[in-house]
Amino acid sequence: MPLPSPSTPPRADALAKATGAERYAFDSIPEGCLHAGAFRPGARLGIAHGRVRGVDAGAALSIPGVVRVLTAADVPGPNLHGIIHRDQPVLCGEVIRHAGDPVALVLAETPEALRDGLAALRADIEPLPGAFDAAGALKPGAPLVHAGRKGGNLLLRAKIEKGDARAALKNAPVVVRGEFFTPVQEHAFLETQCGTARLLPDGTLDMTLSTQSPFRDRFEIGAGLGLDPLSIRIRAPHLGGGFGGKDGATVQCLLALAALNAGGRPVRMAWDREESVLAGFKRHAVRLRCALGADTDGTLLAHDCDMLFDTGAYAHLGGEVMELSMEHACGPYRIPNTRVTGRCVYTNNPIAGAFRGFGVAQASPAFEGLMDELAAKLGMDPLELRRRNALAGGDVNGAGVRLNASAHLPECLEAVAAHPLWAEREAWRASAPAFTMRGVGVAAVFNGMGYGRGLPDMAIAKVELTDAGGFRVYVSVADMGQGNASAFALLAAQELNQPPSSIELVMPDTERCHPSGSSSAGRTTYTFGNALIKACAGLRAKLASRAAMPLLRDTLDGLALEPGRVVHAPSGKALPLAVLARFLPHDDRICVAEFLMPVAQDVAGKAEGFLIGYPHLLFAYAAHLARIEVDGLTGRVRVCDYLCATDGGRVLHRQGFDQQAQGGAAQGIGYALFEEFRLDAGRSTTGDLGTYLIPTALDLPDIASLAVDGCEESGPHGLKGVGEVGLNGPAPAVAAALRHCLGDAAARRLRRLPFTPERVLAALKAGGTARNRRRA
Amino acid sequence: MRVQSPRDLAELFEALQTPGAQPLAGGTDLLVRLRAARKDGVKPLPASLVRLDGVEALRGVRREADGALRLGAASTHAELLAHPLVRAALPELAAALTQLGSPPIRNMGTLGGNICTASPAGDCLPPLYALGAVVELASQAGARRMRLAEFIAGPGRTGLKPGEVLAAAIVPPAPEFQVRHFEKVGRRGALAIAVVSLSALLRLERGRIAEARLAWGSVGPTVWRCPEAEAELVGRKPTLAALSAAAAVVRENVRPIGDLRASADYRRQVAGNLLLRLALL
Ligand SMILES: Cc1cc2nc3c(=O)[nH]c(=O)nc-3n(C[C@H](O)[C@H](O)[C@H](O)COP(=O)(O)OP(=O)(O)OC[C@H]3O[C@@H](n4cnc5c(N)ncnc54)[C@H](O)[C@@H]3O)c2cc1C
Repeated sequence: MPLPSPSTPPRADALAKATGAERYAFDSIPEGCLHAGAFRPGARLGIAHGRVRGVDAGAALSIPGVVRVLTAADVPGPNLHGIIHRDQPVLCGEVIRHAGDPVALVLAETPEALRDGLAALRADIEPLPGAFDAAGALKPGAPLVHAGRKGGNLLLRAKIEKGDARAALKNAPVVVRGEFFTPVQEHAFLETQCGTARLLPDGTLDMTLSTQSPFRDRFEIGAGLGLDPLSIRIRAPHLGGGFGGKDGATVQCLLALAALNAGGRPVRMAWDREESVLAGFKRHAVRLRCALGADTDGTLLAHDCDMLFDTGAYAHLGGEVMELSMEHACGPYRIPNTRVTGRCVYTNNPIAGAFRGFGVAQASPAFEGLMDELAAKLGMDPLELRRRNALAGGDVNGAGVRLNASAHLPECLEAVAAHPLWAEREAWRASAPAFTMRGVGVAAVFNGMGYGRGLPDMAIAKVELTDAGGFRVYVSVADMGQGNASAFALLAAQELNQPPSSIELVMPDTERCHPSGSSSAGRTTYTFGNALIKACAGLRAKLASRAAMPLLRDTLDGLALEPGRVVHAPSGKALPLAVLARFLPHDDRICVAEFLMPVAQDVAGKAEGFLIGYPHLLFAYAAHLARIEVDGLTGRVRVCDYLCATDGGRVLHRQGFDQQAQGGAAQGIGYALFEEFRLDAGRSTTGDLGTYLIPTALDLPDIASLAVDGCEESGPHGLKGVGEVGLNGPAPAVAAALRHCLGDAAARRLRRLPFTPERVLAALKAGGTARNRRRA
Repeated sequence: MRVQSPRDLAELFEALQTPGAQPLAGGTDLLVRLRAARKDGVKPLPASLVRLDGVEALRGVRREADGALRLGAASTHAELLAHPLVRAALPELAAALTQLGSPPIRNMGTLGGNICTASPAGDCLPPLYALGAVVELASQAGARRMRLAEFIAGPGRTGLKPGEVLAAAIVPPAPEFQVRHFEKVGRRGALAIAVVSLSALLRLERGRIAEARLAWGSVGPTVWRCPEAEAELVGRKPTLAALSAAAAVVRENVRPIGDLRASADYRRQVAGNLLLRLALL
């Protein structure tokens, strides 16, 4: 098989998206549809935890165009949904547990009638004392988020242990410690949560959703509403962003409930930005307390880390996010003794869940922060310290997993070390103009791929020869913008030896495509891509042999698939694929194959508390560099240059690879510097994009992306998923750069993200650096 | 809600007689407020919106007899920014406009809207205060002028009377000031509401400051002036020492509030710090 060239064609979706022709779920407004919207009174009443005493729909129902107002009493079935723990009501009938909890669902003829109906609804809610921070929620007597729940507010407690970290820390010649805080982050995708649904006469619930998990959604909806999950059909067109925030039910159950009450009419639900911020899933806020011990030469000896996760009002993926975070807590380093403890806690804050970098983005500022602290204490070059301890193939990682897969962090670090931005760092620091300080920092990061042990990480691909002699790929995993659909078109074209233009994609549709896992966990291209290659190889062999009869060959030798035809090379005879297609019955023109991701077998560490999804075997690695400038008068940090060197195995499509690195870095820079999700007693005070600030084009530098040479033998053409690792680098890289320009004392004060001008100025003032460096 | 589109001043004044009529310039403030009001269902909406963009008399830049620039209230930020007179004669205003919102906001938003919204963070306001701008108000009853600093009464409050529009801002270009500066501190590079802003004019005589005009945004209910700090500077060279002394006076006198974007303490600190930048000019 020829290896894909890095200069592959542009993304298959580029033209349609650039011209606005692509149809997202948001664009689906079926003729004659009703409009559904959730009534979430907590925000307006200023109540994040309260007892629902009643909903007054009188005024709303008198508004022309308002068709129905549904409450918990109208929800069939258990009225509880969730991916793993089913603890979230579709509509709350007794208690609201966070300010965005819905208590009613309005159906209206027009968006205007819906808006006015929602504004006219009244709820009587009696405030209850709330739990608004994870530590407080664990105290005896704290208000219970789920009254009567065994275990109180503690959703999950877990531990990972390898060797004896406590003893090793006691004996380590050098020990550094720190407490770090990472904040809530909002996904802020362009396309807010949305979809359409219709109950068909045959009982099928037909839905089109902006979702990362079409196949699994059926079961979450079915469980919540007591429906047969297999009578639900879900289509998932291209998403306008997901980042984890559309993994699991957002509009799903509400929309399904609306459709059940719409008399067979289609229903549309689309959250506006405020609703998206109010009710959407968030990145977990985490407190980390860590200690890192090393020998005097910088060899790491032990890491002890305690993590406290605020999962908000419902379990959602809280336990799973904490699992991945704990597994990465000790960084991409060889450390013989590790101990990681974690607690995931219910509060009356917004629901936390999956977000690109799934728990790892919360761990990286801490493990890298301590690495920089250690380098400072040892008087060692921070990059050298990382090189000395970086995980490589064959090593055992912090969770005790032997890395029998590709692991090229050392090469990532080499690439950064060799780059002028690193080589010239002292010149950069010395060149700061008056009132400014300059610095360069690096960070080493990694990110596990796939669901982990205990969960089948599977995909099933189907490919078909069309009547016209082209090929149709039935894609089972959603493309949320990361470009996997393009990658599949490319893989199929290569594998079938056809021009890219002959490949047509069917986007996920539970009726037409085969069941597969979600688009998440850096697994999408890897798992489905492997299945697809297998399916294409099968079809290729089948079509070549099916041509034997019409080409009058008495053996299969010399028959091969070429663009548009099957050729018998020795005789030069060829059969157009369009003819072959008509020659074969439809059932024979397809090939289906599955792939199941390998899981870790050789695990030295012990773990307690995890149900499923632990540990992981495959990881992407990266080294990031940030070159920054700090204004001493305002504390404003500008990222001037940025560099990522990524180990994603072999690169299939260079543009897609670079875009993943750059997009991750951009979102990570937002996390590092700008994005501050504020809560006041559980209510968001940054409820829109005018107050919750994500970076603009003016706030981001050009982001250089390097690929290191590597090959993951189990991956499709040797690739690994690189969707998430890029987000984990910027926060620690920027922190390291701040240390380089402001000094160690200031760096110790900067352990709470984001590094707002205010925090930086305060750290500067305390460090006294500003005055020393002013050279006006 | 009705939308009226007058084509000249006479039609405009007529339209403004409709009870509940409200001027609509670029809509970048007003439509945001109306959307929120609609969603709440609490505040009443105006009965009619009267568009200003079709009224030529409210647009454009002219030099008046005394040299002052007359900036039409319905001129968009982008139009002002592209105007050679504004760029050459009012560099601090041009600097403020460059940082206002983003290209789409500058294409829609107007100077009049920025003034009439009377936000403590309005980016055009500190330069206009420092320059001593005057506003021209017009209605069926005729035109009147008053100082901008008197026109703006508080956050969202102005001296506009019913039936009246802001026709123009009249800005003396103040060429005698050699040091002219505007700086906005926002939380990001674009689409950022000022956390603190400063417009500063220094007139130097033989290297010493003869007159200083300092105007801060976002540190009080309206643009804040600090005569004490101005006095501190007069007679001194614009050195780091002199500016630091004035900065200390600023920190002592300024009474900012804390909000989502920054604490009161940060604003106080930075309101003083921004003066130090003048040492580089
Ligand atoms: C995304 C975004 C970013 C923004 N960024 C900034 C920023 O960086 N800096 C900043 O200062 N502002 C910013 N704004 C606010 C706004 O864009 C500016 O204040 C703009 O100048 C308002 O002008 P407008 O023409 O759109 O006003 P409109 O919204 O049309 O009107 C605002 C108010 O003034 C009244 N009004 C307007 N013109 C007149 C007139 N001639 N006579 C009488 N009354 C009048 C209207 O009735 C209304 O009450 C931003 C707004 C948005 C939506």
